[in-house]
Amino acid sequence: MELILEQFPVVIQSLNIGFIQTLKLFFVTLLGAVPLGLIISFGSMSRFRPLSYLTKIIVWIVRGTPLMIQLLIIYYFPGLVLDNPIWGGGESGRFLAASVAFIFNYACYFSEIYRGGIQGVPKGQEEAGLVLGMTRSQIFFRITLLQMIKRIVPPMSNEIITLVKDTSLARIIALQEIIWAGQAFLKGSQGISGAIWPLFFTAVYYLIFNGILTVLLGQLEKKLDYFR
Amino acid sequence: MKRKVLSVLLCAVFAVSMLPGCGSGSSDADTTAASDDGASDAAEESDMQYVKDKGTLVVGITNFEPMDYKDDNGDWIGFDADMAKAFAESLGVEAEFVEIDWDNKVLELDGKSIDCVWNGMTLTDEVTSAMECTNAYLNNAQVVVVPADAADQYQDTDSLADLSFAVEAGSAGEEQVSALGLDYTPVTAQADALMEVEGGTCDAAVIDSLMASAMVGEGTSYADLTYTIGLNSEEYGVGFRKGSDLAEELNDFFAESYADGSMQQCAETYKVQAALIEQ
Repeated sequence: MELILEQFPVVIQSLNIGFIQTLKLFFVTLLGAVPLGLIISFGSMSRFRPLSYLTKIIVWIVRGTPLMIQLLIIYYFPGLVLDNPIWGGGESGRFLAASVAFIFNYACYFSEIYRGGIQGVPKGQEEAGLVLGMTRSQIFFRITLLQMIKRIVPPMSNEIITLVKDTSLARIIALQEIIWAGQAFLKGSQGISGAIWPLFFTAVYYLIFNGILTVLLGQLEKKLDYFR
Repeated sequence: MKRKVLSVLLCAVFAVSMLPGCGSGSSDADTTAASDDGASDAAEESDMQYVKDKGTLVVGITNFEPMDYKDDNGDWIGFDADMAKAFAESLGVEAEFVEIDWDNKVLELDGKSIDCVWNGMTLTDEVTSAMECTNAYLNNAQVVVVPADAADQYQDTDSLADLSFAVEAGSAGEEQVSALGLDYTPVTAQADALMEVEGGTCDAAVIDSLMASAMVGEGTSYADLTYTIGLNSEEYGVGFRKGSDLAEELNDFFAESYADGSMQQCAETYKVQAALIEQ
């Protein structure tokens, strides 16, 4: 116990640095995947068949393979097969590659949630809009989108909380997020070696952050609880 | 009408962006073959030139005291780190240290995200067949880690027969225990192997002696563990891309720095001089 207290400040500082990477990846993914998902959902709902088939195939590939393999492919493929290591070996390159993999992966999941939300809005509302002389984009932005957002909050909350934990997969391409930082003390780092507890302590970070997210998303859900 | 045009456009954009991907996907076999040829050609004549043109020697490491670890300022030091800096200087380039996942070291090398693996790497068959390795520069051994209170029962290899072992997958330790026909569980890291012993899920672990001396005993989370016998002796080397001319260059550099005593001096700084191999 005394030993842990002694190690605590050093470990916390290092875990904080790792957690900042985790948060960075989380927010970048969210920022990229939320709009990209909408574009992909338009693609898969398109009445132009080739486009919707193409999009559905892409979504199938991305949802049908493990994110860990996607990370490995996106990071190593350019250097291994194309002989052109576009990401470089440094930390920023690894982060960029991880961001691309996460954004694309999550955008595909989000797109299906959006599709469900959009298609769940009764057709009568669109027809009513047309009768009132609204254009299609007016109908989408003023009628459909508004109700879609309200409908998708619970499933999106689910995905968002999963995303927080999934960021730990990025350690496979040596992105130094919080679990990596915790594991470093097992082998030895900054004069502390053979310490087990920092790895398990990382769970506290995830738990607290997800607690905050749960409260915020719950509030959002309440706020959007109009109609019904 | 406008929507239709938009859809067609979007589709075209998708298709075009997919094309290079598909192209390289379907012709995978020949591009790999081609780039393989290219890579080995390039490596044969100019891996050193490639590094010099880039201006940095990217060294793949893990945090591994006393070979590569961070000082209080966050700079990488250690016997391997210091030698790598000196070698990079002799090439006229900068050494850049990148922490990698040890399981992916060959991927990292071939994918050119690093230029060498220089991290107390045991020269196993797996390593020498996948990388262009230098001469050995340091001796090491694989030791058995057991709970301290049971240590006196396990002082020879015969006594190990009934134990269940935890070893790092693909490590020299795994080679040893499987050669001895012992019951073992492969785990992802040497540190995890220790955790298995501490948690009681395995009876013993096999790890590097240099690591064992840093990680178990007083002042660690493994105060009640200790290490007993060495199962083999082994040697550390540095790995470059297959066919790289940098391995030969580093052999010459080792010979030079051994001759002028700077290598011994560096080894003394990190207390590994006893294990140093004459170059």
